[in-house]
Amino acid sequence: MTDFQQTALELAAEQQTPVWLAALREQGASTWAAAAWPGRKTEHWKYISLAPLQQCEQLGWSSESDDVALDAVEQVELDAIRLVFVDGRFNAARSSALPAGVVRFADANTEQQALIQQHLGKVVDSERHLFAALSNAWAADGVLLHVAPGHKLEKPVYIVNVSTAQANPVAASQRVLVVLEENAEAELIEHYASDSASQNGFVNSLTEVVVGNNAQVQHYRINLEQEDLLHVGGVHVNLQRDARFHGFTLAQGSRLKRIDYQVNMLGEGAHLELNGVYLPRNRQVIDYHTNVEHCVPHCTSNEVFRGIIGDSAKAIFNGRIHIHPQAQKTLAELSNKNLLTSRTAEINTKPELEIYADDVRCAHGATISQLDETSLYYLQSRGVTKADAITMLSFGFINELLNQVPEQAVQDYLRPRLVSLFGQPSEMVGQIGYE
Amino acid sequence: MTEEVESLIRKDYAAGFHSSIESETLPPGLNEDVIRFISAKKGEPEWLLEWRLKAFRSWQEMEEPTWAHVHYPEIDFQAVSYYSAPKSMDSKPKSLDEVDPELLATYEKLGIPLHEQEMLAGVAVDAVFDSVSVVTTFREKLLEAGVIFCPISEAVHKYPELIKQYLGSVVPQKDNFYAALNSAVFSDGSFVYIPKGVRCPMELSTYFRINEMNTGQFERTLIVADEGSYVSYLEGCTAPMRDENQLHAAVVELVALDNAQIKYSTVQNWYPGNAEGKGGIYNFVTKRGVAHTNAKISWTQVETGSAVTWKYPSCILKGDNSVGEFYSVALTNNFQQADTGTKMIHLGKNTRSTIVAKGISAGRSDSAYRGLVRINPGAEGGRNYTQCDSLLIGDRCGAHTFPYIESKNPSAVVEHEATTSKVSDDQLFLCQQRGLDAEKAVSMIVNGFCREVFKELPMEFAVEAGKLLEVSLEGSVG
Repeated sequence: MTDFQQTALELAAEQQTPVWLAALREQGASTWAAAAWPGRKTEHWKYISLAPLQQCEQLGWSSESDDVALDAVEQVELDAIRLVFVDGRFNAARSSALPAGVVRFADANTEQQALIQQHLGKVVDSERHLFAALSNAWAADGVLLHVAPGHKLEKPVYIVNVSTAQANPVAASQRVLVVLEENAEAELIEHYASDSASQNGFVNSLTEVVVGNNAQVQHYRINLEQEDLLHVGGVHVNLQRDARFHGFTLAQGSRLKRIDYQVNMLGEGAHLELNGVYLPRNRQVIDYHTNVEHCVPHCTSNEVFRGIIGDSAKAIFNGRIHIHPQAQKTLAELSNKNLLTSRTAEINTKPELEIYADDVRCAHGATISQLDETSLYYLQSRGVTKADAITMLSFGFINELLNQVPEQAVQDYLRPRLVSLFGQPSEMVGQIGYE
Repeated sequence: MTEEVESLIRKDYAAGFHSSIESETLPPGLNEDVIRFISAKKGEPEWLLEWRLKAFRSWQEMEEPTWAHVHYPEIDFQAVSYYSAPKSMDSKPKSLDEVDPELLATYEKLGIPLHEQEMLAGVAVDAVFDSVSVVTTFREKLLEAGVIFCPISEAVHKYPELIKQYLGSVVPQKDNFYAALNSAVFSDGSFVYIPKGVRCPMELSTYFRINEMNTGQFERTLIVADEGSYVSYLEGCTAPMRDENQLHAAVVELVALDNAQIKYSTVQNWYPGNAEGKGGIYNFVTKRGVAHTNAKISWTQVETGSAVTWKYPSCILKGDNSVGEFYSVALTNNFQQADTGTKMIHLGKNTRSTIVAKGISAGRSDSAYRGLVRINPGAEGGRNYTQCDSLLIGDRCGAHTFPYIESKNPSAVVEHEATTSKVSDDQLFLCQQRGLDAEKAVSMIVNGFCREVFKELPMEFAVEAGKLLEVSLEGSVG
């Protein structure tokens, strides 16, 4: 066992947790303790180093909620059911009143406890996802979103997670469980943020989504954290017959950010739409892994991921599509496009297809390049300065995906942030290759 | 599938016969003595023995790779015989007339006549039988042009400086498990040297044949194209049908110096095992080339044989403006498994690479494309285009794609595209409506699917490859 594994187990022991989660925690702790620590030779951790985690000494839980830090983080302007967590602790004052069906684990009644026990840790395969095992070991508080058959949550659920700068690095564990019964509908926005660039806490987040027959969910995961935070997260989804998952994710910031999307097609006619954007710069490292398991016939999946990698940043994308032998008539597509904007930036991409059924149509594509010179030239010929042209084209590259986001409030929140990000001249312009 | 179709699938492997030729075969097992024996048998100089032993010692510390998408029972490396040679070769025949007629008959039967007058004009052949090279044709004619084409065991004596300089320079002894094993026990193979500015007057070709039971074949090919030269090299291989799996672990090294061009084509037709997946060759091969300034290395492969294939012909694009190409058709049927692809390592400025990989899976087979495109920080203006398409025939086979793409230079452009589908019903319908039967139609569609690769093959090979594909696919249309 490595030092970090040991530290994490000690932290688990410090937690005060409900008895009904004990079994899951125990199971998580033993998987976590027994797991081999991933290194360069571990296929799915090949390009990302977990050294920053091992160096994260004196990691501890936060002792109090910090309202000041909360003000430093701008939230999406949205009429929503709002739940605010600071360093993993629930902040009741900043959160809205919760309707039936949305509840914190800590406040769950027996019926809800049973539901949580039924699904929590069952969508994710903690043998294959090391940090899911840790999340199980750390399971304490979290959010349950349960929509009854045929119902629609009238407002989106907006979960804000803020990490704050503390004297010692702070650990936070966030757990979300979404259970949509038949014909139900819901929208969930997860927003992760941090208040200071010099803060090196560790966030371990895990979202499990169960989408029943003909139910649909819109899911957003916005990771706009500052420079030094470490974040490992996962979104694991089970789709039943004719269920639909519409996901969007955007990531920026973090010395180490690893996010796994795993979608299991368990019922015929299920559909996945997943778009993602990653924009690492400075010395950030962002790693997206997606895995779509087509287990049954007649399902469709469509993934589009785009990244702009600048400065000395590094991005990793791994998109796996697995078609099981019985999953005939599957349509699966994946596209990953990357712009490298600096000599010291790095991208590693690996779109994978593993196909065992013949009557399917699968395609993936990946490209890496810099901005198209003719487009730059064209804009300049129209009197646009080079700097502005770069901003426009970079923004346009991402905006294509942003335009497809169904929730207008999320679009409105992200768009100005992206414009200002690409407009920062010191970062993008003057890089070799654009002279 | 109907019985009729089933019976069609069980079609014979034409090259599956065994020649009864008296051989001197080492008992199974591998230790330093075996290596010393092989080395002594070849009368090798001391440095080469040391080189082999060094490889063997590092091999002992290495682990068999398990990352490939293939499954096979563990290989007992002590149950393999590492040297086998026809007895008649002991006396080192001076000319074709002295070669054992049985040996010649074997090649005759395979359609590789070794009498120069009968040869297709313009192809020189080195025939390797188990562990030794039987004969190399057209050597005098090639020497006139300054081209060296001979068994590597002979080159060690005749051209020690060249061998010393280049052997292991592209694939070092410790490169990987199978390359280390090969470095320790390699028995024969071909050596080619094309002098400065020479365009090799004919196609060079090596034909590999495994004959003896329980033996492995470990050949080593080294091709050095000096500045401004050109060579086209072909490789073919077959083995008898046996219920046991046999091991083939070869190493091919290509060196293309400034402005040189090497075109390396392979038609791999080792015994693939029977319809139940019994027997067949384990084909674990390391092939790699280094391209210096303005040089070009082109790999073309048609892989239809072997029970298990593990093979990644690669290009290290070291010099500025160097070019790497990889064209591949991998066909698997029955229980065959293939994990094959390429590596393009871009080091120099304006280096370009093209990858076109076509995988066809039928029966219960699995075929995977595994490739790496790496753009290093210095590869200013690097360019890669990768296309890999898979065709599935039947609902019990698998087709996989594992492309690794790494870029560290913003001015490089990398494109990767992959698709997987079955033979489209529309295409089939159109062909049938024009009077072709289903089998012919599929064969035509598959040939069309592979056309991009076949057109890269030298003419005679392209015809052979097309036929091979037809034969291998026969009966898999239900």
